Amino acid sequence: MSEDRTDIGGIADEYVLGLLDAMEARQVEADMERDPDLKAAIAASRERFLPLDDTAEPTVIDDDLWSRIDAALPVQGAAPADVSRLTANDNRPGSWRATALAAMVAAVILAVALSFNLMRTVEPLVVAVLVNEAGDIQAIVEDFGNEKAAVRLLADFTVPEGKTIEVWTLPSPERGPVSLGLIDDARSVRLDGPALPKPHDSQLYELTLEQAGGSPTGRPTGLILAKGFAKITR
Amino acid sequence: MSMGAAPDDLTTALAACAKGDRTALRGIFDREAGRLVTIAERIVRRRDLAEEVVQESFIRIWTQAHQYQPDRGSARGWIYAIVRNRALNLLRDGKREYTVEDVDVLRERDQVDHVMAAWHRLDRTSRLHDCLGALDDTKRRGILMAYIGGYSHGEIAGRLSIPLGTTKSWIRRGLSALRECMT
Repeated sequence: MSEDRTDIGGIADEYVLGLLDAMEARQVEADMERDPDLKAAIAASRERFLPLDDTAEPTVIDDDLWSRIDAALPVQGAAPADVSRLTANDNRPGSWRATALAAMVAAVILAVALSFNLMRTVEPLVVAVLVNEAGDIQAIVEDFGNEKAAVRLLADFTVPEGKTIEVWTLPSPERGPVSLGLIDDARSVRLDGPALPKPHDSQLYELTLEQAGGSPTGRPTGLILAKGFAKITR
Repeated sequence: MSMGAAPDDLTTALAACAKGDRTALRGIFDREAGRLVTIAERIVRRRDLAEEVVQESFIRIWTQAHQYQPDRGSARGWIYAIVRNRALNLLRDGKREYTVEDVDVLRERDQVDHVMAAWHRLDRTSRLHDCLGALDDTKRRGILMAYIGGYSHGEIAGRLSIPLGTTKSWIRRGLSALRECMT
């Protein structure tokens, strides 16, 4: 995404205003850690709009609110297990811990080491290791870049009646999230997706729980089961 | 308008938080939480949810304080962004549990008033006021609805009765004009 972005200022503004959808926003948050220009543009945009926050009249706060915060603060430097418990059962992207990202990096190495695809004749262009909110590996997506992708599930998923797992990717913020297909029986599958640009490094892939037949809006709407960023295979 | 704490104080407080100083976080809470609850409430519409947002945000501020660097902007902007993002995420998720009609009723009541009240309260000596004022009314409203009320493109299009594609391109152009004006 960094390569084909022509309007960093515009993307930063739309991110800061909250106009990107959840998946695009997550991609921007990942990109800003690698892209100093984007990070600077977001910082500048926040400062530009901050005077609008000063228009908010402070309200009187019950001391109870502080007590709740104080009681939930983890010890600094300790594993933030308490934080994840606080937001359990919540698919807010912001609550995904930094450890999940760290685990992804480790997981990519693991996945490559495992080389479950050693016997394959056609190599995927990118591999994404998908983890859940706790950072546990849930699935691997291989995107072959020719409208074919393979999803290998590495954990048991419970799919309620009337629901299905949908596979998504974000080829570019302009295009938005695109469905690669459905995983009906919670089993590893090969998918015939739509024609998309060649997958790129750090492209976002995710699995969400959607109603049977797939998301009614064509965009991810349900609980995020797992997500991860692609790595180009070498 | 009051400006809350001086940015340097907040930068110092974040550094202290990173070292495990709870009184520093309490200091940020005392200075900013009242306003932050209002900001969250303008987006999530309910006081109880707004407090939940602020509660989770302060835990996040605590656990991520060590990541704050001046290249992320001012400490205040960084703190406020955490609360705004949390509120927006709650809104996006919450919407999934309501029907479209429910959301419309929930959001319609007095939200547009909130947005315009904020515009009228914006510091008239600020550059942002000048530059927003220079935009035509629709673009200004769209930008204010997004930032203050957390409205999506689709909701803005609906409220302003203009097509979605037009809304997106107007807001994009408005933002671009604003950037140009403010640099």
